[in-house]
Amino acid sequence: MTALRLAGATRLFDGGAGVRDVDLEVSAGEVVALVGLNGAGKTTLLRLVLGMLRPQAGSVEIGGVPLDRLPPHAWAEVGAQIEYPLAYPELDGATNLALAARLHGVPAVQVRAVVAAVVDELDLGRYVTVRARRMSLGNRQRLGLAAALQHHPRLVVLDEPTNALDPRGIVLVREAVRRRADAGAAVLVSSHHLDEVARVADRILVIGDGRMIGTLDPHGAELERAFFALVHDDALSRAS
Amino acid sequence: MTAPAAAGQRALTGLRTALVVESVKARASLVLRSTSVLLVVGVCVLSAAMVAAVRAGRTDVTRKLGPTVATGDWDAFLSVATQVTGAAAVLATGVALAWLVGREFSDGTVGGLFGLPVTRGVIASAKVLVYLGWAAGLGVVLPCALLAAGLACGLGAPDAPVLAGLARIGLLVLLSACVAVPAALAATLGRGLLPGVATTVGVVAVAQVGATLGAGTWFPLTAPALWAIAPGTVPAAALATAPLLALAVAALTVLAWRRLQLDR
Repeated sequence: MTALRLAGATRLFDGGAGVRDVDLEVSAGEVVALVGLNGAGKTTLLRLVLGMLRPQAGSVEIGGVPLDRLPPHAWAEVGAQIEYPLAYPELDGATNLALAARLHGVPAVQVRAVVAAVVDELDLGRYVTVRARRMSLGNRQRLGLAAALQHHPRLVVLDEPTNALDPRGIVLVREAVRRRADAGAAVLVSSHHLDEVARVADRILVIGDGRMIGTLDPHGAELERAFFALVHDDALSRAS
Repeated sequence: MTAPAAAGQRALTGLRTALVVESVKARASLVLRSTSVLLVVGVCVLSAAMVAAVRAGRTDVTRKLGPTVATGDWDAFLSVATQVTGAAAVLATGVALAWLVGREFSDGTVGGLFGLPVTRGVIASAKVLVYLGWAAGLGVVLPCALLAAGLACGLGAPDAPVLAGLARIGLLVLLSACVAVPAALAATLGRGLLPGVATTVGVVAVAQVGATLGAGTWFPLTAPALWAIAPGTVPAAALATAPLLALAVAALTVLAWRRLQLDR
């Protein structure tokens, strides 16, 4: 079942940056990774998925419903982190998670259990009473990911989730993401760490200059070489 | 339950959730706490200091502040407190509101407020409601603190007109908070704290210039202060322009949050 579909989605900024004519589908139970160089359009594409930007052309659908007609309660099935974690500096880890859970539609009586479970899953026990402003960048990132994943969304959208994480954090997040997908969630994750996406993704899509330029086999050898070949060929075709 | 009734129920639940979330954030906020302390302590200290100076025979102070404070009694104390509150409360509440709204952009947390069952319009509404609740609290605390300061200055037991004057100062804080609501719209359109603060300073400046030029009792930025200083000169309908201004600007702010795009 298709959980997320972009059809001809275009959003361009002054100067020509952005994404153009992007088609993309993510089905329930699969992890799709979006890789590309810096400025390729990964974050813009994810922003379109979350409604942070509206497409100038084409459409974005969640569960078969265009975003502009998606009822508010349907967003309870979505968990996302784009760029900055939802972590308020003046609040401690547990309070940040509790507020995020409430905002994602978790009933008040279940919040404590939901927070306890994700604290355990992402090993955040040491940080429940620590204010976010006192956390390291990596721990704040992990807190934000916990906020995005704790309500077990059916669609997960993560932008560079392993940025700033230490090796143990990377493993914890990878396992948490894989667990959600194995339970039936559709996951779209952007990254520029090819080794990392190869470990977690079922499909790898390559974006360059705002367009989908190809796919990579997550189990293929020489992933890096294949990636640069795609980027190089795309640059040549645009130049000619 | 019918579909519209279910949607209404969900909207109510969303507002309740947003109010809880914004209240928790406001309670933990050092900005709101320090702004509250600065306003209350500042108004009390200035009022007490001026009256103490007059009572000590400082004719230079009396000359500058005018004949209303020459008596050095409760009336003088309230006169100073009302004039200081008229300007300071707009500045304090405007800065607080600019932070409540603008911090989501400055801290980068605004991205986390997309893709939620609690809509951004509801979150913006909750911010304004929590802000007005905080201002109403200040409107209770400030008169109580002024009463204590006046007693500490040896002004004696307050009579009914003095208590009415203190109550007017309390309402002036809330009306000043209404006048400062444009800070929320500026912080939203400007995507940060500083446009909200700048707008607040602008509101104070325009109000001062308006008062100096005799803008009149129907000018929403000056009506609350004029009413607090001379209640008989400002009709209730003119006073209502301040909350009406707040309502209109708050509606525009909610609309701006609903239509928000992170495109810059």
